[in-house]
Amino acid sequence: MSTRSGTGIGTRDVVMIALFAAIIVTLGLVPPVTLGVVPVPITLQTLGVMLAGAVLGPVRGALACALVALLTAVGLPVLAGGRGGIGVFLGPTGGYLVGWIPGALVVGLLVKFWVLRLRGRWAQTAGYTAACVAGGIVVVYLFGVPWLSVSSGLALGEALVGGLVFVPGDLVKAVLAGLVAYGVRRAYPVPVK
Amino acid sequence: MSLSLYVRGRTPLHRLPPAVKFGVLFAAGIALFLTDDVAVLGVAAAVAAGLLVSVRPPPAALRRQSTGLLVMLVVIFVAATVFQDLHTALVTLFRLLALLLLALSVTLSTRAADLLEFFERLMAPLARLGLANPARISLGVSLVLRFVPEVQRRYREIREAQAARGLRANPVALVVPLVVRTLKSADDIADAIDARCYPPPRHPDRENT
Repeated sequence: MSTRSGTGIGTRDVVMIALFAAIIVTLGLVPPVTLGVVPVPITLQTLGVMLAGAVLGPVRGALACALVALLTAVGLPVLAGGRGGIGVFLGPTGGYLVGWIPGALVVGLLVKFWVLRLRGRWAQTAGYTAACVAGGIVVVYLFGVPWLSVSSGLALGEALVGGLVFVPGDLVKAVLAGLVAYGVRRAYPVPVK
Repeated sequence: MSLSLYVRGRTPLHRLPPAVKFGVLFAAGIALFLTDDVAVLGVAAAVAAGLLVSVRPPPAALRRQSTGLLVMLVVIFVAATVFQDLHTALVTLFRLLALLLLALSVTLSTRAADLLEFFERLMAPLARLGLANPARISLGVSLVLRFVPEVQRRYREIREAQAARGLRANPVALVVPLVVRTLKSADDIADAIDARCYPPPRHPDRENT
């Protein structure tokens, strides 16, 4: 069907990766959604990152995030609020952006080898959410917090406390990502890769 | 949204090749972390600000890129003053300011296509090892640029259809159909690309974006 390269990524995979990157960009551009439970409006961009891993799988999910990072680096305003440019990587929050790539990879691995074996609607939804917490929050913060600490001169512990401000919003997004990933898998399953 | 942050111009910074600009940025990134001298970092920040002004960015673009940045810098400055001391806070502030203004001048003065080409050359060793495929990367990049407006249009359609039925904005009900429709269209797009035998066997013509 599609030609193969040395990496085993065919044309169809490139298209899916690119389209998911477009979804991540779009979720950053649309007006932030205000949820009933959290008073501050949150952008859905990191929801897209979690979904990339959960829907496409580890390799393609990570590549979709890498593609968004590449577009950011060449100076396109693809991040939430129309931000972009190489400065995003050098700034205090650069680690979170880089962390998206291994984050989506971990979400995808957990989905591929664990969540898809669960049975039942709520077990799977909870599994997706847990995968998104592990990959989309823990792994992303593993990159983001030390970066913030180096960049801002704050001690690691203080940087961690500062980073924790965003945890409640990210937890809400992980739950949303779990619900969405399950809904997508039921409506239109694509093999994870 | 404008397609790129690039600002047209013929200033000295515009004329420098991307490799030089990135080399300087990379060196500055290391050098700025090697010194703790407030005066040196202050001068560096002033020089970076001067370079940014020399690119002659339109005020609107500048404001959009720097508001979030300034808020972040103020938060970090206050945190550093409270948790550490004024000296550390000033060092951090000037260091970040210099680095970020420098990066912003590079971004504003370099065309996205030129930067892509530069990154492709950086990735050439990986490509020779078979770990990266420049043709597929550029296919991916052009597909994203082509389909962001498309996905946005789809997002608005779904939102409007739900509003017409009296549904309030519900992220799950919004994102599920968005992802499903987009995944469905991926098959058609992949078939269309394969039908046109892309990528061509050797040296694909580069698109001038």
